[in-house]
Formats: sequence, C-alpha cells, structure tokens
Amino acid sequence: MALSDTTSSLAGAPGSGIYREAIVKWAPLLVLLVLIAFFAIMEPRFLSVRNFARIGISSAPALMVAIGVTFIIIMGSIDLSMEGTVSVSAILFAFAFLALGGTLASWAWLAVPMALIAGGFIGFLNGLIHIKLKIPSFMASLAMGFVGTGFALLLTGGDRIRIEDELFRSLLTVRWLNFPIMCYVALLFVLIAWFIQSRTTLGRNFYAVGGGEELAHASGLNVNRVRLMGFMLAGIFYAVGALLAVGRIGIAETATGNNFMFVSITSVVVGGTALWGGIGGVWNTVVGVLIVNVINNGMVVIGLPGWLQDGVLGLLVIAAVVLSTDRKSVSFVK
Amino acid sequence: MDAIAKSIGLDFEKIKPHLPWATLLALIIIVGLADPNFLRPQNLIGMAADIVPLFIMAMGMTFAIYIGGIDLSAQSVANMTTVIATVSLATFGIGAALICILVGAVLGTVSGFVTTRLLVPSFVSTLAIGGVAFSIGQWLSGQRALYMDATLRDGAFGWMVGNTAGIPHELFIGVVLLSFAWFLMTRTTFGRSLKAIGAGELAAVASGLDVDRIKIIAFALSGIFAAIAGLLFAVKLSGGSPTIANGFLLPAIVAVLVGGTPLTGGVGGMINTAIGTLIVAVIRSSMLYFEIDATKQQMVFGIILIVAIAATIDRSKLRVVK
Amino acid sequence: MYKLNAVDKHFPGVHALKSVDFEIGRGEIVGLVGENGAGKSTLMKVIYGAYQPDDGSITIDGTTVRFQNPRQAMNHGIGMVFQEQSLITNLTVMENIFLGFEHQFVSMGVINWSKMAEAARQQLGKVKLDIDPATVTAKLSFAQRQLVELAKVLTLEERVDGDLVILLDEPTSVLAEDEVKLLFKLVRDLTKRASFIFVSHRMDEVLELSDRVYVMKDGAIVDVVTKATADIDAIQHKMVGRDVDKEYYREQKQKDYSDEVLVSFDNVSLGTRYKDISFDLHRGEVLCLVGVEGSGREAILRTIYGLDKPDAGTVSIKGQPVTKFHARAGVENGIGYVPRERKIEGIVAGMNVYENMTLSQMQNYSKNGVLRISDEKLLAQKWIDRLGIKTPNVYKDCGGLSGGNQQKVVLAKWRSAGSDIILLDHPTRGLDIGAKEDVYDMVREMSDDGVGIVLVADTLEEAIGLAHTIIVVKDGVAQRAFDGFRDGKPSLFDLVHQMI
Repeated sequence: MALSDTTSSLAGAPGSGIYREAIVKWAPLLVLLVLIAFFAIMEPRFLSVRNFARIGISSAPALMVAIGVTFIIIMGSIDLSMEGTVSVSAILFAFAFLALGGTLASWAWLAVPMALIAGGFIGFLNGLIHIKLKIPSFMASLAMGFVGTGFALLLTGGDRIRIEDELFRSLLTVRWLNFPIMCYVALLFVLIAWFIQSRTTLGRNFYAVGGGEELAHASGLNVNRVRLMGFMLAGIFYAVGALLAVGRIGIAETATGNNFMFVSITSVVVGGTALWGGIGGVWNTVVGVLIVNVINNGMVVIGLPGWLQDGVLGLLVIAAVVLSTDRKSVSFVK
Repeated sequence: MDAIAKSIGLDFEKIKPHLPWATLLALIIIVGLADPNFLRPQNLIGMAADIVPLFIMAMGMTFAIYIGGIDLSAQSVANMTTVIATVSLATFGIGAALICILVGAVLGTVSGFVTTRLLVPSFVSTLAIGGVAFSIGQWLSGQRALYMDATLRDGAFGWMVGNTAGIPHELFIGVVLLSFAWFLMTRTTFGRSLKAIGAGELAAVASGLDVDRIKIIAFALSGIFAAIAGLLFAVKLSGGSPTIANGFLLPAIVAVLVGGTPLTGGVGGMINTAIGTLIVAVIRSSMLYFEIDATKQQMVFGIILIVAIAATIDRSKLRVVK
Repeated sequence: MYKLNAVDKHFPGVHALKSVDFEIGRGEIVGLVGENGAGKSTLMKVIYGAYQPDDGSITIDGTTVRFQNPRQAMNHGIGMVFQEQSLITNLTVMENIFLGFEHQFVSMGVINWSKMAEAARQQLGKVKLDIDPATVTAKLSFAQRQLVELAKVLTLEERVDGDLVILLDEPTSVLAEDEVKLLFKLVRDLTKRASFIFVSHRMDEVLELSDRVYVMKDGAIVDVVTKATADIDAIQHKMVGRDVDKEYYREQKQKDYSDEVLVSFDNVSLGTRYKDISFDLHRGEVLCLVGVEGSGREAILRTIYGLDKPDAGTVSIKGQPVTKFHARAGVENGIGYVPRERKIEGIVAGMNVYENMTLSQMQNYSKNGVLRISDEKLLAQKWIDRLGIKTPNVYKDCGGLSGGNQQKVVLAKWRSAGSDIILLDHPTRGLDIGAKEDVYDMVREMSDDGVGIVLVADTLEEAIGLAHTIIVVKDGVAQRAFDGFRDGKPSLFDLVHQMI
C-alpha cells in the first residue's frame, strides 16, 4: 500500500488509453488552432499574411531561447541564465562586428560564429558551476544570469551599440514569400535542434537523464557530461536568439536579454514539456512559443487595452497549461 | 571543507546550520576591515532599514519555497499594491493598508489554488497571477506614476517611516513582521504542517494533514507579505506605479536561498531569510566601500553570490542535484 | 565456472551473509530460494558487484576477481534483470537496450536509427520478442518489459569475452501463468548463451526451472538440492527452518479478542484488485492478510484506510458505513497506518521525535493553533520511555534514528493519538531481530489495550505467530480464513498451498 497514487498523470502506466495519449500529444497544437480561430473571428485582419509575419518576427528570437532551455528542462534541470547570456552574446557580437568592418560583406561575418562560441562558453561555465560545485541548476543559473547581465553592463557601460549594416539588417528587411529572412533562420535552427534531439546520442541522452537519472547512470551513461553538454548547447541557442534580437531592432545593449527568461520557460511549459523532465521536445516548444506570441499579438489586433494584456496573458497561459499538458502533483523543486 | 572541519575536531554536520550567519559575519568583517566606517552602528542600522521592503518580500517568498514551491508574483503584487495604496489613500486613509493586504491575500490564494488544485507548476501559476496583478496595477494607475498627498500620507502612514532614538521605523516593522512570521513557522500547527510538507509530503499526507489547504495558505501569506512590502515601498517613496518595485523579485529569491532555505523546502526558515537578506545587503553596500564601479557592480554581485551559495547550501538535503 | 568462496558480509547490527559458498557452471540454471530477509538480495548484490564482500573471494574460471561496482561485474559478463523494472519508460525499446553504448551506431555524429533498430531486433530475437524496437517502453506490458530487460542484458554477449551469468530477480512476480511458461521455455533455450541464477520465493517455479537449488536462511546456505532429489516440502522446511519459537512471537501473551466489531467488510469488491471480500475485525484482534505481492492485500488495506472507494459492498467502521473516501478519511476514522515505506510515508526525516509524534494529532497539542511544545515534549518523553526508543533526546532528527526506533516513533504517533484501529504494512521489514521482537511486543500490548490490528506480514511465520485470524488472498479473492487462535495455528504449508 502506498499513498503516492496522487498523480493525475497517466503517462507511464502501461495500457493507459491510446485516446488520452493522442490528446496529450496534440492538445498544445489544438489549443494554438483554437486561439487562432478565436482571434480570427474577433478580427478577420488577424489572419492576414502581414500579421502572421509580425507574429513570426516577434517569435523568432524567443523561440531560439526557448529551444535552448527546452534541452535543459528535458533533463529535469532548469536554466535561468538566458537573459545574461543573450545580452553578452549580442554585445560581443556587435563589438566584433563593428571592429571587423561593420558589414557582413567583409570579415565581420566572423562575428557570428564568435557570438555562438561566446554563448556556448557561458553555458559551459554555467554547467560547470552547477556540476562541479554541486549547486542546483536553479541557483547556479540564476546567479550566472546576474553575472551575465552584469558583464554585459560592464562591456557597454550602459551604451547602446547600433548595427546599421544593411546586409545584416536584411534579416528583418528582406522578405521571401512575405516572411523576413529571420523567420527562415529560426526555422533552420529549429530543424537543427530537431536533428540534435532525434538523431544524435546527446539529444537522446537528454531524455535518458530526464526519464531516470539514476537508471541512466546505472546503465553506464556519464550523466554529468550530458548535463554539461546540455548547458553548452543551450548557450549556443541563446546566442542565436541574441543575433536575431539584434537583427530585429538593430541595437545591441544590456537590455537585449530582458524578458526572455520568464517568457521562454512559460512557452516551454505551455507547449507540453514537463518541468520534471523526460517529456516534450523541440516541436512542443515551437507550438508553445507560438501560443504565447499569438495571444500577445491577438490581444493587440483585437484592440484589447494595453493595461489588460498581461493579466489576460496570465489567465490564458494557465488555461493552456491546464488544457494541454499532462500534469502531476509534484512541487517545483529543481 | 569536511576534512578541515574534522582536523580541527569539529563535526561538520553540526557546523552546517551555522554556515549562513558565519558567512554574514565574515562578509561584515571583510568589509569592516576595508573601511571601518562601514561598522559604525548608524551605517549598519541605515543599511538594515533600507533593505526592509525586500526583506518583507523575501519572508513571503520563504513560505512558498519552504513547501517546495516558488512565488514569482511577489514583485508584481508589490507593484500593484503601491498603486492601490496611493489611489485608495484619499478615500480610506489608513484603511488603505487593509485593502492592500486583502488584495495580496486574494491573489496569493488564487496562485495556491491554481498550483494545488489545477496542478499547474507554481513557477508558471505564480508568474501568470503576477501578470494579473500587473494588469490591475496598470488599470488603477492609468499607466502613470502616482503621488500621494503628503498630508494624507503623513496622517495615515507617517508612523511607518519616522525615526525613534535614531532607529528608523522600517526596522521596527521588519522586526515585528519577522517575529510574527517566525512565531507562525515555529510555534503553530500551521508552521509545523509547512515543515512536514516541505520535508516529507507523503508522510504528511499519511498523517492526515490537509496538504492542499496548507499549501494554499502558504501562497496566500506570500501574497500578503508582498503586499505589505509594496505598501511600505509606496509610503517610503510617497507614491506608486506598476513598475516601481521592479528588480526586487530575483534578489528576494536569492535572499531566501542564500539564507539556507533550499528550493526543495523543509529546512531553513524566517531567521535564515533574515540572514540571507542581510548577506545580500552587505554584498550590495560593500560595492561602495570597495569603490566598485557602478557598471561592474552587478557582475561582482553575481560572482559573490555563487561563492556565497556554494558556501552556504547544505547539499546533504538534496538527493539529486538537478 | 563462477564461484563464491566463504563470502561474508556484515551490516551494522546484522550478519547478512555467513560464509556463503555458491557455484554455477556453464549453461546451468541455479535456483536461489529463501524467505524475505534470508539474505537473497544481499547475495545477489555481491554477485553483480553492488556490494563488496567483507571476507571470502569470488572466482571466475579459477581467477579471483573483485568488483567495485556493477559496471565492472558487467564487464566480466555478469548481468542483472531487476525485479523493479530498470528501463527508462520515456525512451524507446532500442534506446533502452543500447543506453550508454549508442556509439556503435553513430557515424559522423548521427545516430543511424535503422542500424540500431536492426541490432535491437537481433537482441529481441534472442528473447523471441517480436515488437517494433522504436516502441516507447511505457507502452509495453510488464511481461514485455521484462523480456526487453533480458535482451538488454544479453547484449553483454557481444560486448564481453567469456561466459555470461545472468541473475533473474523474482522475474515471475509480475507475470501471468502463460507468460511464466513462455519465460521458462525461453530461459532454457538461452542456456546455450548464458548461465542463469533464478531468484524467487515461488518454490514450485524454482524447482521446475532450475538444475540445482540453493536454500538460504538467516544469511547462510542451509541446503543445496538437485532437481532429481528435490522434495518441495523438505525444502520449505529448510527455508523456514527452525521450529517456530513460540516465545519469539510472544504467543504466550496472545489473548482472546472481544466481540466488538471495529471494521467490517461485507462483500466488498474493487475493480480487478479484489472481489467479494468479507471479514470482521474485532477489538483486540490481530487479523492478518496473507498472499503474494499484488494478490490484493495492499488494495484491501487502502480501502480500510479510506483511500480507495470500493465498487460494491459495504465497509463499516465501528458500525458506521463509510461513505467518504479521501486522503484524510483514515485519520478521521481513527485509523493509524504504519506504512511499508517507513522513511517516506512513516516518519518525516528532518523533523525531530516530538514533531513526528504529534503530526497526526496537532489539534490535541495546541490552543488556537499555537502549539504547546512543552506538552509535546512530555508526550514524546513518555513514549520514549514506554517503548524504549533509543534516542539521545526528543530533539533528535528522526531521519537519524535506526529503523527499529523509527518504527517505534511511527507506532507511538498513532498510539498516542488514540487510534484503536492500526494497519501494519510490513512492520518489521528491514529490521534486525531485536527490533522485530520489540515490534511483536508492541503488537501484543496494543491487542491488550483493545486495538484492532490489520497486519500484512513480512513472512508467513510472522503472520502465523502474530495473528488471531488469517485470511489468504489470491488474485483478489479470499481463499480461506483460518482462526489461528481458536482452532490452532495453521501450518505454513496450509497457507502456501492456498497462496499459489
């Protein structure tokens, strides 16, 4: 006799209906479609290609960051350092870009891989502190977030750095099939993330660690190495997010990373990736980010007063989590 | 560290609970050596008084973290309260305080309900309820900064910010609330239940505790404390705005964690949070004494934080470090 | 081929293995039987490298080996199929089979899924399991998972030079009858690939499958029988061993119980878990539910405690039909629960002795929500003295007490709250002999005080020794009730016969 039966989760119990399983799998997408239908009925202009491009632009950087943290959450850990990492990567990119000629047509393209390396390095440090000092990832990454934002401030001294190179700004300005290039870049990295998740040992090992860390360890998996690589990979994706964020507004500053933390984690959860690990993935996060951004955009399009939007977003997020994810009564303890 | 402790004949298990205040003492001594002015009572008292709003918020956060949750709505609730206090001051006078506390309690209760009954992780539920609080604040304020009428303020809440025998009244408020929260945690059935839930939820269930109800009350208390923090803030700054307390949330969480209440809950408590808040305050103000450039301060803060966390947390309470 | 020579293992307060000699040859199936606590699991852990012996040696083909961890044992061809499943359920079958060894399917950083699937199919072929290797493990039945685990262990064949020894820990406990037959056939076929050590408490199965059987009792091998000479009754005698010492179970102190009914089940059924269960628990009675794991005895306990609402029939507590079933119903009905998972559901580690003792009755030790801590301490001290709880003081963290003393704290928690119905779920699990005797004393004392006890015992001896009434449950159905007090104690064989 055990009292631990207090879960509403049916996942994992053999023979628990295919029906429920299909619902859990497709519910986030269903929620997204319902939201789109709702806003379209309220205001037909919501369905215009122009508006979808707008949603795409606002989603792209957040999506990169959310995908980065998805890997961490699949492992059952959490990463709160993204705001600092995004700012630092953006600023280092901007400095290098300007120093190397200020246009993608010159050697300044090197600034792109440099930014990714910087992001990966910060993620690596983050993972190192978490693993070597045995500090829970919540605390380690929270503190690293402070360090990152602080370092960004130190680099800029509070100034903004403008990137005016037309070639780089074509991320936003040049459109193919009505969508700016940055949407395609984001899509490309989604595919890369999907590839990592489904076709590489590392990607699969994230699921093993999240599904049963001790069992994975007993099977001979080097769990710490997987964690470290996970944080590094997340850092690289944050840096991609930073590049797109700079591409969107043409400015790199300490505040570039602001608001990414809560939005990205909320998106991941809304998309159906469980905070206790092992469940979910890249496509869930794509849907989650779109849900959050469709709500944000839709509220503007239907003319909801600005002051109301945060509250409505909050309530809709709760509704989305309740409707679309498999939950159990575990505390948030990571 | 273990080996060092053993070699000087001390049982490390016994030292562990004392790490947070030992860290605080060490920090104070280090800063004091650098600049003895730091140690002047007047300076220390001033520093402590300045940190009181953050401390109150951190105490609320402690309730949530102690049961293994988190309350990310605290900052938004405090923001909202500054607005509520400012707009309701003219009509209700000191009654405005009651309104603030009531609204904080209601929002906290909703967070708790969503967390325990709808099984939404508290990380998301409290963040979402924070959005609701932010909306209320924006609506009431018309998205502007508001100011209190000086006479009305002094009439109703002047006692909050005065000075008696050189001691700022905020400090009294902090101590009174600390005593209250400490009493609640250590001397009441409610506090005992919190501990049981944080340390062993299944055993608490098996012993017949109404776990959901207790968790909801914990979130409600977190909301109330955040509201009080906001009220004090509004009185201090003589006004309110829906963004005035921004930048408080993460330091409040840090204060709880550095004090020695881990995210898994069950150990630590209010005294720990008091120490944690003071550690944060000393680190912050030490920047001035070490003449650290404003642009470097946040980074240095983060680095010291990592060291402080590494030094203070009790890893034996964490089964798997995730 | 594989030999243990005079292996000894001590734990604080327990001599877990006493000079154990054990041997298994190539292609042989060896059975290992013994009651719970006889030392089977310790012996297994020594074999697969989780424990290191204190004394004695392990040899493979005459060479002495020493394993620091299971991985080293694996590298010598020793694999383990765990009783509690060790597959990661969110991964696919093939990922589980090759977890930690995926590199053989990776080229240029990319996993070749079809190559892995092919290899997995080959491994699954060894255990004759025809499923898609890309199936998520959570979707498999327990029987299928068991075979996947076996397939996972059999990958050692390709990875390791030399012979394989595979431990099967209670492999049949989650299987249906026809699944057991299939498994046995499979294991026999697999003896050309590996030797097997089959650990079970189901005597008939062990005898059916094994070439030789080691019988363990109290940490020692008490007999080795070959299939030809085996006699099931004789083995059972060896296994349960000593003619039960009446004093051990305090049988002299057993008294008749009263007529007052505390708990009454009237034709109660719950889904597939149990069916048409009827009994009365009287004041002062010890009622023991006997059956194998999953026979329905735990489900019946849950219903008495008010956790699960039955589909049919009436449950009454002290004459009142129970209508509300929820997490706190048991405590509200005055029922105390001593759980099997003592450290998770029994005590709260991190809380001290008096905090634990009053956890279920804080309303009695508080006024307007404020605790009367000095009264709590007095209460704790009273029960520390009364039960002989070994703790330096009332401030000691219960997580740091020994298992026996933790159990006393849990019992004191319910006793002091005045519970007159107490459910004991494996109350002596993991306790040493002295602590067990203390628990038996407490059972008698509670009986005398008019407490009705429902017991799920660790061993059959314990059940027979302690109970007034024994109900044997098999597949959710009550097979037979024995009135052990009035009609005389049933024999072990009476019970085993009904159980399996």
